[in-house]
Amino acid sequence: MNTRLLMTLRVTVAAPQTIGAVPHGTRRTVPITGGAFEGPRLRGTVLPDGSADWLLLRADGVLELDLRATLRTDEGGLISMRSFGLRHGPPDVIAALARGEAVDPAAYYFRTTPRFETAHPACAFLNHLITVATGDRRAEGPIYTIHELL
Amino acid sequence: MNARPLMRLRLTTAATLEVGSTPHGMLSVFPITGGSFDGERLRGLVLGGADWVTAAGDGTFELDLRLTLETDDGALIHMTFSGVRDDANHYFRTLPRFETAAPNYAFLNRLLAVGIGEVHPDGPVHTIEEIL
Repeated sequence: MNTRLLMTLRVTVAAPQTIGAVPHGTRRTVPITGGAFEGPRLRGTVLPDGSADWLLLRADGVLELDLRATLRTDEGGLISMRSFGLRHGPPDVIAALARGEAVDPAAYYFRTTPRFETAHPACAFLNHLITVATGDRRAEGPIYTIHELL
Repeated sequence: MNARPLMRLRLTTAATLEVGSTPHGMLSVFPITGGSFDGERLRGLVLGGADWVTAAGDGTFELDLRLTLETDDGALIHMTFSGVRDDANHYFRTLPRFETAAPNYAFLNRLLAVGIGEVHPDGPVHTIEEIL
């Protein structure tokens, strides 16, 4: 698998909204309050309005992530980002993450597959990219290192 | 990114159904009639499915596949992928996902994967790797 760095994306989050037990698991929504992204070809900020991560903890202990965020490049282009992901790991590691402790991201599996949509000509290459990301869950919000699949 | 091989998936297809112009673009359905998959940890046959392909209008295609795999020890695996095909740039990449109830293959429920597709005369071939 050949990849190249697309961007590092840091988002900040607010307190989760716990929806609770739903037919497919336990649902929680984490509002995104802002953030920033930076890479060789684009950089900018994360718009808080409408950005959040919709989480579903499945019965098998795997957390499904469904993040939707709006990014604004430093040239003013808006990018709609959606990413599906999975997070899981040993129970003690997941418990430490839940307590907001700093955990080595290599100790758990946190991977996502972002897709992008934009009408901004300078960013149009994003519309047809398949990308994969590794996540590092911090107390203030996750950091995603996103690679383009070449 | 680190990855390791999961499987090579060979598909056989029937004649394409041209649904035509829809609000999202030109939609074609590629019925999948069979095929096989083979990897270190799993192998078996494709029971069937289809790939719903929408032409984006700029020469690229958005892929939306669903099919059922049957392993050589009788487990059924539900597989889907979304993906992009851009023939002008030789870019054919997918994001496969798997669901199964078979304990031997439960690892598939817990991984994300990427696929590199190739168009062969007898049907598409996807080389799928697990994202580590």
